[in-house]
Amino acid sequence: MDKETVRTICYLARLRIDQKKSEKIENDLETIIELISGLQSIDTSNIEPLYSPLEMTALKHEDEEKSDNKKEKFLENAPASNDDYFLVPRVVE
Amino acid sequence: MIWETVIGLETHVQLSTKTKLFSRASTAFGAPPNTNVNLVDCGLPGVLPSVNKEAFYKAIRFGIAIGAQINQTSIFDRKNYFYADLPKGYQITQMDLPIVLGGSIEITTDDLSKTINITRAHLEEDAGKSIHDEYDGFSAIDLNRAGTPLLEIVSEPEISSAKEAVAYMKAMHQLVTYLDVSDGNMAQGSLRCDANVSIRKKGNKELGTRTEIKNINSFKFIEKAINYEVKRQIKILENGEKVTQETRLYDSVKDETRPMRSKEFANDYRYFPEPDLLPVVISNEEMQTIKDKFPELPKEKENRYIKEFNLSAYDAQIIASSKSMADFFEDAAKKTTNYSLLSNWLIGDISAFLNKEMIEIHESKLNSVNVAMLINRIDDQTISGKIGKSIFEEMWVSGSSPDEIIESQGLKQISDDGAIEEIIMTVISDNPDQVEAYLGGKDKLFGFFVGQVMKLTEGKANPQTVNKILKEQLKK
Repeated sequence: MDKETVRTICYLARLRIDQKKSEKIENDLETIIELISGLQSIDTSNIEPLYSPLEMTALKHEDEEKSDNKKEKFLENAPASNDDYFLVPRVVE
Repeated sequence: MIWETVIGLETHVQLSTKTKLFSRASTAFGAPPNTNVNLVDCGLPGVLPSVNKEAFYKAIRFGIAIGAQINQTSIFDRKNYFYADLPKGYQITQMDLPIVLGGSIEITTDDLSKTINITRAHLEEDAGKSIHDEYDGFSAIDLNRAGTPLLEIVSEPEISSAKEAVAYMKAMHQLVTYLDVSDGNMAQGSLRCDANVSIRKKGNKELGTRTEIKNINSFKFIEKAINYEVKRQIKILENGEKVTQETRLYDSVKDETRPMRSKEFANDYRYFPEPDLLPVVISNEEMQTIKDKFPELPKEKENRYIKEFNLSAYDAQIIASSKSMADFFEDAAKKTTNYSLLSNWLIGDISAFLNKEMIEIHESKLNSVNVAMLINRIDDQTISGKIGKSIFEEMWVSGSSPDEIIESQGLKQISDDGAIEEIIMTVISDNPDQVEAYLGGKDKLFGFFVGQVMKLTEGKANPQTVNKILKEQLKK
């Protein structure tokens, strides 16, 4: 785990870190990864993956409209909006 | 150097469900901004998605039609990235266990057919819409489309030209509309594709470096974008340079592809199983119901049209090739009995008008009741075929019924013998020289008299009656 990897991980998660703490975070992440590596040494090739710890399957809903739209409230809660849209800093492709 | 093109297509098909994949908000197109948005769709904390039954049934129907394996247990995964029109910060999609695995699609180019294998097809949610150029300094976000169910169909890299890519998309369009899986409306984005294009020396086994052209939404642009990209890559390779693996956009105005600024500097989506959704299981009973209710496919329709409506194999094939046209034909055939005249009109004049405007029949102002009425009026000789064409042009523009047009413009054919005889007598007495010449052996002048009668009746005289009476009167 080096500084560059930590920087990438933080960027992907949109987290800003205090540069002074970078070394501590490097060490912490290192420890976590070591812990997980222990699990990875087990051969699971013949075991069906467990997708959920609950022994249940998803309920499927009927394809019938049921609106709980609260447009005004949704827009009101956004940092910036007008009558119709959420407004965000301009993103241009 | 002989180069070989290798293309794989990722097709996004918007499923024609009434509601979204993980909420019961409407998917109707064109609603006011941010009104088809439920709590789940705007990614509020603490809400849980549930899955839309119908979206699964439609995906399975598609899978059965292409002869694929259906995973009766499938799971969802999170694809993580940040973009303003993706409120949760991740897209729910299927990575490890997609609903549809394998299968194939038959395509035809220049009368040659070829099988394109399908890798997989999975369910996922669409993102919202960003509007970049209307508000100064801001991008505006409309979440109406967020959560709309998509089926992403991934082909093997077995397509070898732009032409084949178009044929593949046309086959896909026919299939999804026939299966009632999607409305197939390309202008509204219901069917769009990303094309992975690479070039290699002919005979090479290894694939060249590919580029991905994003979001192409018309048959014409698929062909142009791929052709441009192929030429561009060949030029690079012939200069001894290397193709860069990247995502590109097709600009239809400049007819070129250019690199797209990537959404993230590293495409690291960090997929993991979606903890908010349990595995989705489709029971054997559900599978049986889907199979029992399977819609009629083009080939079956074609054969039925030949038997039931006595259409020629050629006519039946053309009408059955489009779901929209086939539905229209079947509706109109309930209101008229002259099926061959109906099919002639659909394949001839009506198709010509549709092709000119590049629309499907259900997008025009025509309806099956009016077209059947037009066929009946020609069939019972209220109007001639020629007048029929001008009535049709009016129907095309205004959507009026033929009877209204016949009435308001006085276009009813004159079949009354007495009225026609009167006009014929006038024509004969007005043109004594021509009558003499005709009687003297100039048979060709008969057409001149018919023309004069038609001119005086503005084309409304029944041609058979005119011919009969004119022959009798000229002999006298």
